[in-house]
Amino acid sequence: MTQMEAPRIDSGRIAEVSHGLDRSEVESRERVFSVSDLSVAYSGNVALEGVQLHVHKNTVTAFIGPSGCGKSTFIRCFNRMNDLIPGAKVTGSVLYHGEDLYSRDVDPVEIRRRIGMVFQKPNPFPKSIYDNVAFGPRVLGMKGSLDERVESALRQAALWDEVKDRLKEGALGLSGGQQQRLCIARALAVEPDVILMDEPASALDPISTTRIEDLMHHLKREYTIIIVTHNMQQAARVADMTAFFSVLVDEDGSGRRGILVEYDATTKIFTTPSDKRTEDYVTGRFG
Amino acid sequence: MRVELQAELDALEAGFQEAGEIVVRSIRGVIDALRTQDVELCDEVIAFDDEVDERYRAIEKQVELVLARQTPVASDLRLVLAILHSALHVERMGDQCVTIAKLTKLSSHLGTQQAVVEGLVDMGERCAEMVKVSLTAFANRDVAQARGLHGLDELVDRANRQVFSEVLGYVHDAEALEWGMRQITAARCFERIGDNAVDIGEQTAFLVTGEFAEFTDASDDLRSLE
Repeated sequence: MTQMEAPRIDSGRIAEVSHGLDRSEVESRERVFSVSDLSVAYSGNVALEGVQLHVHKNTVTAFIGPSGCGKSTFIRCFNRMNDLIPGAKVTGSVLYHGEDLYSRDVDPVEIRRRIGMVFQKPNPFPKSIYDNVAFGPRVLGMKGSLDERVESALRQAALWDEVKDRLKEGALGLSGGQQQRLCIARALAVEPDVILMDEPASALDPISTTRIEDLMHHLKREYTIIIVTHNMQQAARVADMTAFFSVLVDEDGSGRRGILVEYDATTKIFTTPSDKRTEDYVTGRFG
Repeated sequence: MRVELQAELDALEAGFQEAGEIVVRSIRGVIDALRTQDVELCDEVIAFDDEVDERYRAIEKQVELVLARQTPVASDLRLVLAILHSALHVERMGDQCVTIAKLTKLSSHLGTQQAVVEGLVDMGERCAEMVKVSLTAFANRDVAQARGLHGLDELVDRANRQVFSEVLGYVHDAEALEWGMRQITAARCFERIGDNAVDIGEQTAFLVTGEFAEFTDASDDLRSLE
């Protein structure tokens, strides 16, 4: 009779993957971002006002909220993408490992290397799979074997096995889900510290979405991940911390601005939120 | 506003309250059967338990559908979970009534002792009251009223101890002792119904506060047996 080998189970990891971290565990980790009194205006119109929160290392943080609540505006503050929008003005402070991200002597290009971004729609370059991933390291003149770097990034993005035999083929021939993982690989290839994801799975089918979510669980061991999502169940599944943003409408109805309503452990937000507005949103009673 | 979800939650809660009202009828039936030592009524109580079970299974099925289709969260999720747990407590109360009815039938050929019967009827009345309180507290999300169940349960426990002491006095009368032993088991069933009502009260507190806490600890349970 053959003896079955008992499966080795790391219960700590299972707990982490399936339940997320609790708030004290998250807060015990190093602060990657400290945001205080942050406001963003486009041509004088306030889009987001008075945001204060911390993002911790090796965690997944989700931003949820209705359309127009400023969550996408907010995520773009973390790698100064708003700089690229004419008329955008950011006030308040965003500290990245204690350094002011908006200080004059900070190079936005260097910031965007360390803080990568993945967008809603997969946007691979119309080049080969290999060149898509190699592009960043080449431009930055990163040392070491390019082949190894490409393979490592594709492996981390859980795409290697599917594309290893056709690296020279065009990236646009990949499925939507594969293209999105290619974009994640492209972001990982330049060895970032943080990955920002703005609705990374909203254009994908459920299977591809599951792959991306599994990937987030895996990647947070090495990276810090911030995600904007419309899909609340996705936030519940992947995030350790969740921030709920809402829209504040001026009494005379003239202006609308996004505000941070509640920021807490994801389990708290989805089981016993403190703020009535959060409860109304997560249960679907909003508006 | 999720109209569909709200309608399903309302239906679920109405179904739970109905199951609760039905089990109160079981308790009333078994009290009457005890008081009058009516074997036929015992059979009716036993048969009536199918109604309670049916309501429980319907709730369980509805909960499964709501979870699968609506994925409720926060207070909605707590409501679904609290109903599922509470409905199971109601179903168990029904089972206790069946056991009491069977014991009453089994001991019907033996002579009854009035003091013990009165003690059991008193326990049953208190239990029926507790179940009603637990259902009202749940419906009104009234944590203070739910907590009050703990005090009511102590009275049931006290009546249980009195039945026990009374039966101890039958030690020199074999027939009375056999009858008495069965009544101790019946008393234990009422005592469990009281505990189940407290459990529903705990679910009400969970529903409102989001935190589950037992109203009593294990040492209280020990005292209740003394």
